[in-house]
This record gives sequence, C-alpha cells and structure tokens, in this order.
Amino acid sequence: MDGSSSPFRAAVVRLDGPDKVTGAARYTFEPPRHVACQSVAEPTSACTYPLDRDCARRVARRRIRGSDRCAALPDPYYGVAIRDQPVIAIDKVRYIGDMVAAVAAIDEETAYRALTLIDVQYHPLRAVMTIDEALAAGAPLLFEAPAGGAAVQVGEGVTSLKEPRPNVLSEFGYRNGDAEAVLAASDHVFEDRFTFSRINHFHLEPYVNVARVGGGQIELWSCNQDPFVLRNDLARIFGRSANTVRIHSSYVGGGFGGKSFCKMEPLAALLALKAGRPVRLCLSMDEGILTLTKHAGILVLKTGVMADGRLTARQSEIQLDAGAYSDVSAMTVVKTGYRITGPYRWVAVATRACAVRTNSVPAGSFRGFGGTQASFASESQIDMIARRLGIEPYEFRRKNLLAVGEPFQPGDSGMDSDLLAGLDAVVERLGYRRRAAPPAAGTKRRGMGLSIGLKDASGTNYAQALVKVLPAGRAIVNAATVEIGQGATTALCRIGAEVLGLPLEWVRYGAIDTDHTPLNNGTHVSCTTAVTGMAIERAAADARRQILEFAADRLGCSAGELTLDHWTVRRGNYTHLLEPMINDHFGAAGYEFIGRGGTRIEYDPRAPLAALNLFWIPSWVGAEVEVDYETGKVEVTQLVVGADSGTSVNAQACRGQVEGAALQAYGQSLFEELRYDGTEPVNATPLAYRVPLASDLPECYESFVVEHGGPGPFGAKGIGESGMLGVAAAIANAIEDAVGVRLTQIPLTSERVLTAIEGAR
Amino acid sequence: MTDAIDIILTVNGRTHRLNVPPRRMLADLLRDELQLAGCKIGCDQAVCGACTVLVEGMPVTACTSFAFEFDGKAVTTTEGLAAGGVLDPVQQAFLEHGAFQCGFCTPGMILSVKALLARHPDPDVPLIRQWLNANICRCTGYQMIIDAVRAAAKAGAR
Repeated sequence: MDGSSSPFRAAVVRLDGPDKVTGAARYTFEPPRHVACQSVAEPTSACTYPLDRDCARRVARRRIRGSDRCAALPDPYYGVAIRDQPVIAIDKVRYIGDMVAAVAAIDEETAYRALTLIDVQYHPLRAVMTIDEALAAGAPLLFEAPAGGAAVQVGEGVTSLKEPRPNVLSEFGYRNGDAEAVLAASDHVFEDRFTFSRINHFHLEPYVNVARVGGGQIELWSCNQDPFVLRNDLARIFGRSANTVRIHSSYVGGGFGGKSFCKMEPLAALLALKAGRPVRLCLSMDEGILTLTKHAGILVLKTGVMADGRLTARQSEIQLDAGAYSDVSAMTVVKTGYRITGPYRWVAVATRACAVRTNSVPAGSFRGFGGTQASFASESQIDMIARRLGIEPYEFRRKNLLAVGEPFQPGDSGMDSDLLAGLDAVVERLGYRRRAAPPAAGTKRRGMGLSIGLKDASGTNYAQALVKVLPAGRAIVNAATVEIGQGATTALCRIGAEVLGLPLEWVRYGAIDTDHTPLNNGTHVSCTTAVTGMAIERAAADARRQILEFAADRLGCSAGELTLDHWTVRRGNYTHLLEPMINDHFGAAGYEFIGRGGTRIEYDPRAPLAALNLFWIPSWVGAEVEVDYETGKVEVTQLVVGADSGTSVNAQACRGQVEGAALQAYGQSLFEELRYDGTEPVNATPLAYRVPLASDLPECYESFVVEHGGPGPFGAKGIGESGMLGVAAAIANAIEDAVGVRLTQIPLTSERVLTAIEGAR
Repeated sequence: MTDAIDIILTVNGRTHRLNVPPRRMLADLLRDELQLAGCKIGCDQAVCGACTVLVEGMPVTACTSFAFEFDGKAVTTTEGLAAGGVLDPVQQAFLEHGAFQCGFCTPGMILSVKALLARHPDPDVPLIRQWLNANICRCTGYQMIIDAVRAAAKAGAR
C-alpha cells in the first residue's frame, strides 16, 4: 500500500496534546503522591541511609570503600551486550561524571549538604582521552579484566568481537567480495578521513527515577524509554526473578536515545533498598550531560571509482569513542560499520569498525545511532569525489544510487524507497538547478550541497500488544512503547481505532506498568509505528474477530457476513447495536473483548545483521550556505529535509519528527559540541553547552515527507531518526560549493572554515 | 522557622498568604506547595526556560527566582490559562499546529508567547524567534511553534 489509499488522511489532534498544552501532563518528574519524596537522593558523591540534618555529618564520616557499596548486588554491572558499568564506581573512577557515592536523606537540601561533607580520596591515574591515546602502545587500560556479557550477534559475512584488543570494547567486520582487488582495478581510488563530534541529548526533563522496595518487590517509576529492558536488567542486578520487579512509565520529557537502556535506575533501587523508604533520584542537568553522549569518531574511507563515474568498492576503518563504559556502543559500531556504504551500489565492501574506550563520558544511543556518523563521512566523500572528477554531485549520486528493490547488501532486504525521487524533490525545492554562479564582489560566496542519509531499521524486532474493547465501544491499547514526545500514543491508538472502526477519541493508550503491559524490546530505532503498530493491528483484529463472532452468534449468522463500525455491526442493509446484545448476554457488568497480537522479526543468519532489515530510513537533504571568506562565518540560508514515512499515521507528527531531528543535526553541524580540555569537560553545564535556539533556524527551513509504503500497519514505516542523518554532510558540501574548501570535521565553525580558506590560498 | 518571610502572592487570580523560607525558589513554591506542576524545572539554571511563569505579565524564570521577591505580585502559571476548561487561544493554536512533542517545555513556551502577544499583537517571524530564544525546545525544531504563534496572533490572541 502507498500513502494514496491511506485511511489516515484526516488531520488529528494528538491524544497527549490537551494534557501537554495545559500543563496537566504528568511526568516521572512528578511522582505519584503516595510514593513521592519520602526521601530523595543526590548522586555523585556515600551513604544510603535516611538522614536528618544532625546525623548527616556523622554518617558522612564513615569510611566506605567502593566495593562495599555494591556488596548487596549479585551482579552490579550493566550495559548492552557487553556489561562493564557498575551501579556505582567500584574499583576506580573512569571519567569525570562517574558516580562515586550517593546520599539519600529526608529532603534534597539535607542530601546535598551531606554530600558536601564527603571527602572522596582519589589516587590519580593516567587517563586516555582520545581514540589515538587509548590505542597507543603502552596506553593505560580502562579495564584490566574482561567484562561480562558477549559480542553482538551477527549474520553472514560479518564478524563481531568482544574486547579484541587493549581498550577496544568491541569490533565489527564486514566483507562483501574482494575489496582490495576491486580497488586495485579501479580507475581512481580516494582516501579521506572524517572526524565526528561528541554531543549531548539535552532532554529537558532530567533523568529521574523513583524507587520503592518492599513486599518482595522492587518498584520503579522511571523516565526510561525501555521499561522491559530495564526490568530485566534490575532483576539480574539484584538477583531477583523478573516478576518481582515492576516498572511504571509515564510521559517522558524528551529522550532522543539518552533515556534508552539501564543507567542510574539500579542506584535508585539500591538507595531505596538501603533506606527502607521510597527514594527519588533526579539528576541535575549538569549530571545529565555527564551521563551519556553521542559517539565521537574517526572514519577513514577508501573508495574506488571507474572513469565513467561508477563506484566500485569501499574500504572503511571506523573508530568510535565509546567513552568509559559500554552502554550500547557494541551495537552502535555494528550499525555505523554496516551503514557506511550509504545508499549506493558496490562491487565490493570491506569494513572494520571498533568502539574504543576512553576516560570520557560514555557514549550510547542517540537518534540516528551510528547512521549519523556514517552518513556524514560517506556523503561528504561522495561529494568530494564527484568534485575531484569534475562530475556534478547530483549526477554522480544519481548514477550510483540503489534502485527500488535492489538489496542494500547481499542477503539483506531491498531498497523500499525511491531514493532518486526523494533527491529530485530536494533539488526542486532548493532551486538547485537554478543556482547562480557565486557573485564576484563582496566577501560572501553562496553555494549549495546535497546529501542522502540512510539507515536501516533493524534491532527493535519484538513487540506484544493487547487491545481491550470495553462497554460502549471504548477501547484501551496496551503496549510498552513509551510516549517520549514522538506521538507514539496517537499513532498506536489510531491504528487500533482504524481496525476496530472506532473514532480515535474512543481509544486511549493504557498506562505502562510491566506487571500488566505486554512486553516489547524498547522505544527505539524509529520502529514504534511499524513494529509495535503491527502488534496492535493484530491485537485489534483479534478483538474485532471476537466481537464479530459474538454478534454472529447472537444474530444467528456467520461472522463473515458482518462488519464492525462505530460499535455497531452491519449485516447487509441492517445495522445492529452491540450494546444491548452485550447487556442481554453478559448482564450489568458488561464484558471486555481482549485481543492479543505480536510481531517478531525472525532471526536470519543469512542476513548480515542476523535479521532482514524491516525497512530503510532515508533522509534527503539540501543546503544553501553563504560563507564569508574574510571571517569564515557560515550562514545556512536554506535547508530542505525530506523523509519517507511510508503511510503517515499522523502527517503533522511526521513533520515534527523530521524538523526536530534535522535541527538537532543542524546544531551539531555548526556549533554544538561537548568539548574536553585534558580530562575535564569544559562546557558540561546548560549555560555553556549551546543547543539550537529559535533564532538559529535557517532563514528558510523546509521539510517534506513522502509515503513510499512500508511493511508496517497500512503501509507505515518509521521516521523518527531520518532528519538527523544527512544534514552535516549537506552543509559541508555546500561550503565547498561556495568557497572551494572542504571541512572533514564537525562542527563547521567559523575558525575551521577560515583556517581552511587561508590554507587554500 | 524564625527566618521565614510572610508574603502575599496572587497566583492565577487566587490570593495566597504564605510564610516562605528566604531560600525558597518560586518554582519549588509553585510546584510543591501550590501543586502547580505545570511549572517544569529543566536546567534549574535559568537557561532552558521550562520554568517560565508570568509575573505581572512578564516572563520570569521561576527556578532561579526567590519566592519572597514577588510579595504583592500577581503570578500566572499555565494552570491559570485554560480558565473554566476552555483553552486559551495560544494553547489552542499549539494544539492544532502540533507545536509540542514531549511537552516539557510547552507550558513555559506558551507563557512566553502570551507575554509576546500582549506586547506585540502581530509579531513578524524575526520577532517571534527572538522572543522564543528564552525557551529551549529540543524536540520540534521550533518551526511548528512559530506557525502556532502566527496562527494565534492572527486569531487575535493576547
């Protein structure tokens, strides 16, 4: 199905909208009253007893060794695939921001005062702050012993290694064909090196968790976007069965990947366990900035081309800065490595990507998940090669783009989006063909750049759902996808409503509670609408089947003769109200029709990433810049970003996803960066860390969404990350178009541009 | 507490006689004592603007303002806008234009827009952008917020 026959044409108001515009929306930041703040915790600095003002000083004087603090925990380490991050620092502190102690007290002020009384004695160790330092011979080791866990599971042609070398967390290798031989036979071979920056998620709702331990249960109200992943981690860490850990989720005030997977939640539970009371652990934004970042990295690409402009082979060496702990880096390198070839056709590919441990903030999920790094390097180099060969960059891309249906790599699924049509749409909207030659007068030069970002949607592959239809046709959709702002609740309810023939206003998204909500493997990978949506579509169809079978039984006909619409059944020209039938049969208590559904993307060892990619997430970007060659100042005068949603379940929300992601990428491209001076972060405060403001918007900022049809319900795909992918390269490409210099490192600051211009003179 | 200060605060049209410790921040007072949790605390450093409330119609970052400073003043929070269950035109415009995602910045953002429209009933885009600079939204990319502000202005919102 493509968008043209979509049942979701009509504009809708988001279901979470009234709560959010009135301020009635409740986040984990506002814990339920019955558990709120009987004690609060302040992290980073070592005691876990409820304190009053007098005993704060006494308790703070206790001598506590790191290993004592985690003694209650059977397995104090967490991380995805590879588990190396302790609930609280045990043997050594590996980065500035590592939690060394936490205090729970009767109120925040007391906890904070107690913290200031703690004197942590450090024995300084030599640090490695960059990828090169960490990989140098004789570099100090972050970890002396192997970490727990295992390498990421992969499929054909792929190697995945856990801790293969000193300070290397994991390594991904992929080969298709004989890249060395193909490169040797190519007319041209270009090698270029790209440097990608580190940024923070800067979600406005802080990391916040409320934990209560008692009655044989650990209960957590969490801002985490993966309630079941978290439940399973807590069960393992505390040595309990999964049915004794219960996670509640509410609205999440922004995540962008920062609230994926286990972080400080076990510490909140540990504090509550020791305190014997509920504990609220809310990080400050300063602490949040030191909790997780996007991966900085170095990407070296060696690409072969024939004289006629056909790409031949690409050999890539990628190093991502994983920071001090694993988090989800082992997965991120797999994705970066796999996506490095971009949306093009190759004869051969050879890729090696590794996650390198350094003494900096751990890196993990961030919208785009390795795709941003890969797209920046790949789309920059594609442009550079085109310009070196004197081929128009648009034409060079057009010649090499994957066609619809062509597999991304052997064994993987075919391209399901018309990449050229999307690029043409950008070219048209940007006015790319009408662009004028740079004016000769003045110090400013204009230029335009294009780019096509691409990522796969594999990884989030499992979801269960329940759809309950209550009396009067009111329904509750139950799934574990968390509303982080993306509009998931509206999209998922709309899918359920459509299948059941109910108005959207009659359907509500059920509160998430792992005791009652069906499981999925997280709110990730732009996959909610497709993967969880499919589970909901099936659950709603199951409920519909039950309703129609019930009605058929009451009417003495077969269910196949009936259709369901607005809580009535139609048989031929007759309409029957369901409500009296139900009352008549079940009595006053009524009945709930409970439909169940699930989605499982099967393991497939023949596919490189061990499962066929469910759909492709392209991003088409065009940028026009004005560069002042006297100052290096870059002004983006026009930015056009397009994405493919498959069938849009909510067109307005899709636009919001594309524009929001693109502006995050835009900030990273031009100025946003978490910087270090030696071992110390220099701008890890909200004031010093600069994110895009309204006045930073490009003068002309345009987005569009195409609906090429996907595998999800009614032809839906996913769109949440796409806007993030191609922006940085498009701007770098436009800068070269304007002033003839190439920047291979982001952010594209005035200093860097000016240095490049002066270097070229 | 002997060092507490007596103040009179009018919040959303209701007068409160309060006895506040000198260090009590307006945001904490609103959230914890008056249960007005629409005032969000993001950065807690007057950078992000999530805590924005109106004092005598002017935007103030409640996270870094002492409550006693506002003795005798009138404070408006997001809860004061949808009086009687009818959305304020600015709220309505935000709703219709999808000018929110996670919603954490939204109450503060809407209050800044109220202050903007009270002074400039028909603001152009550069002026809107300038006023919105006090409120960080990490989700939307701002454009849909700007659309909502223009729509609200067109509808005569003040």
